[in-house]
Amino acid sequence: MSHHNHSPHHEHHGDSPCHKGGPEGDSQFHYRGGIVPTEAKPLTYEEVNKTVLAMLEPPTYRWWLFLGLCLVAVAIGGVSWTRQILNGMTEAGKSHPDMWGGYITTFVFWVGIAHSGTLISAVLYLFRAHFRMPIYRLAEAMTVFAVLTAGLFPLIHLGRVWYFYWLMPYPNERAIWPNFRSPLLWDVFAVSTYLTISSTFFIIGLIPDIAVARDAARTKFRRLLYGITSLGWTGSHSQWKHYTAAYLFFAALATPLVVSVHSVVSWDFAMSIVPGWHATIFPPYFVAGAIFSGIAMVITIMIPLRRIFGLERILEPKHFDAMSKLILLTSGILTYSYGVEFYTAWFSNNEFERAQFWFRPFGEVGAAFWGMTFCNCIFPQLLWIKTLRTNIPFLFCVTILINIGMWLERFNIIVQSLSHEYIPYSWGWYNFSWVDVGIVIGSFGWFGMWMTLFVKFFPAVAITEIKEILPAPRRTADAHH
Amino acid sequence: MKGPKAVVGVFTYIDDTLKAISIAKAGGHDYRVYSPVPHHELEEATLPGKSPVRFLTGFGAVLGCSGGFALAIWTSLDYPLRVSAKDIVSIPGFFVIGYECTILFGGIFTLLALLHFCRLPYILRSVGYDPRFSQDKFGVVIGCQSNAVEEVAEKLRESGADEIQVREAL
Repeated sequence: MSHHNHSPHHEHHGDSPCHKGGPEGDSQFHYRGGIVPTEAKPLTYEEVNKTVLAMLEPPTYRWWLFLGLCLVAVAIGGVSWTRQILNGMTEAGKSHPDMWGGYITTFVFWVGIAHSGTLISAVLYLFRAHFRMPIYRLAEAMTVFAVLTAGLFPLIHLGRVWYFYWLMPYPNERAIWPNFRSPLLWDVFAVSTYLTISSTFFIIGLIPDIAVARDAARTKFRRLLYGITSLGWTGSHSQWKHYTAAYLFFAALATPLVVSVHSVVSWDFAMSIVPGWHATIFPPYFVAGAIFSGIAMVITIMIPLRRIFGLERILEPKHFDAMSKLILLTSGILTYSYGVEFYTAWFSNNEFERAQFWFRPFGEVGAAFWGMTFCNCIFPQLLWIKTLRTNIPFLFCVTILINIGMWLERFNIIVQSLSHEYIPYSWGWYNFSWVDVGIVIGSFGWFGMWMTLFVKFFPAVAITEIKEILPAPRRTADAHH
Repeated sequence: MKGPKAVVGVFTYIDDTLKAISIAKAGGHDYRVYSPVPHHELEEATLPGKSPVRFLTGFGAVLGCSGGFALAIWTSLDYPLRVSAKDIVSIPGFFVIGYECTILFGGIFTLLALLHFCRLPYILRSVGYDPRFSQDKFGVVIGCQSNAVEEVAEKLRESGADEIQVREAL
């Protein structure tokens, strides 16, 4: 026996929602309340639900168009890889001494992009930085999808990809094991741990928000999708108790992981004796560069999403201001690291190191060096001006340039160093090929495809954590300090 | 939930919810609180103290660390091939494997602890749950005997509940 009082669950309170179709209209979610267009008034729980869930409404033609473009890029990458598998690595333009070329350049680029998602999420969570809340979900999604993208490159670069499992330590008939002293094997462990922990951290953060979507869903498909993926979350007091503890531990585990992953990636280079690579500054230099590029990519993604989905009240100028300051900080560290590399080469009195660092700015592709310097060191300095830190179109331009600059940085480190090793006899140059370019294009399509699908099917802005930083609703305003 | 009936109070305000929790505790009732967000006042009122999740996290981390070192050492001894004049058991090099496995297994055990203590995935219908509790309302569900329903409902109403529902407790 049960009796229910009249439930206001299906009623509308407050102002009407501002999305197409009027209050609910053909919406796939129940909205209680609406956006109150007064900047001075803090958001309410209802408004947060409505704003974020509106992102999950059926897609417009622009979403389909963008997804289509991503799929075309994926197809280009797929055709290129197939061609390489059929005809061998020669298709990728690999030739001595540049056997790493574009693939490892792009691998390090994507690992770098992957870096800041967990950093923004875990480190800023531990520091209780409130500006993290509206940003971190997208940053984590970016991390997971960027690692998925980066992880493809060692496989593509293997040539005979069907033997990839030789990298893993498994008992085999030859009784041989991988070489655990090799940085390349450390990388396998670091990147797979990073993927596992980042994905888990990301999914755990999503569960309460998926429950919000589940309880507001009006269509069968949405109810089923969110019913399964929310795992039956109810937000009971014991669930929150253990959830918050587990989340804190995940943040605490992910923080040293963030630092270790790009340090290990840097050791792929620094542990060798190639001039330009063999330097102890590499781990902090790589970590700072990764944070720099990752934050830039988060902003690049956030700006169009903010505009398309009307997230102006959640992603406020102060959030862009805070992230711009992080860009300034990491740009400074990176500029210092670039300088230290040159200083070390000069101070070492090692002619091969000196030759390498002369070659980078004044060699055959010195333009890559100057492009990197302009994009990563010079142009971001404009962010010292406060009005530019909150100027959204300007920020978009800066972050696009940083993305380009960071790809060029990896190109300088990898291709330039390999091209100009010890003796002139072994100097050579990297041959670009359409297969190589196609795979790089495919990687952007692959990343874009996952991001596009994600923002349409799951809450791309953290509902619960934004609510957490809002004042809890109280009958008596002064009851709590 | 103890008792055949569950009285559900739906609240808008957190201070009213806290009053209802104190009523439930004072009456010695079995109760459950639902909220759209975690809140330290609710936690202090319901389950003060530390979550046992940390023990499993620690166990996983220690297991991962020892397992990572053990894997690298054992496989090196099983196939002793000297590389670049380094020791067969090169502890500095194996530190990376131990470090990564510490975090990996610490994370996996934290996940298992989360699923275990939060009872996820939870496929049964939770007693007294209302979809509004994930949106913007707080819920206090009190289990009681059939003859105490009116009394509990009245107390919840007095503490500021917007709405009272009576359901069968499972």
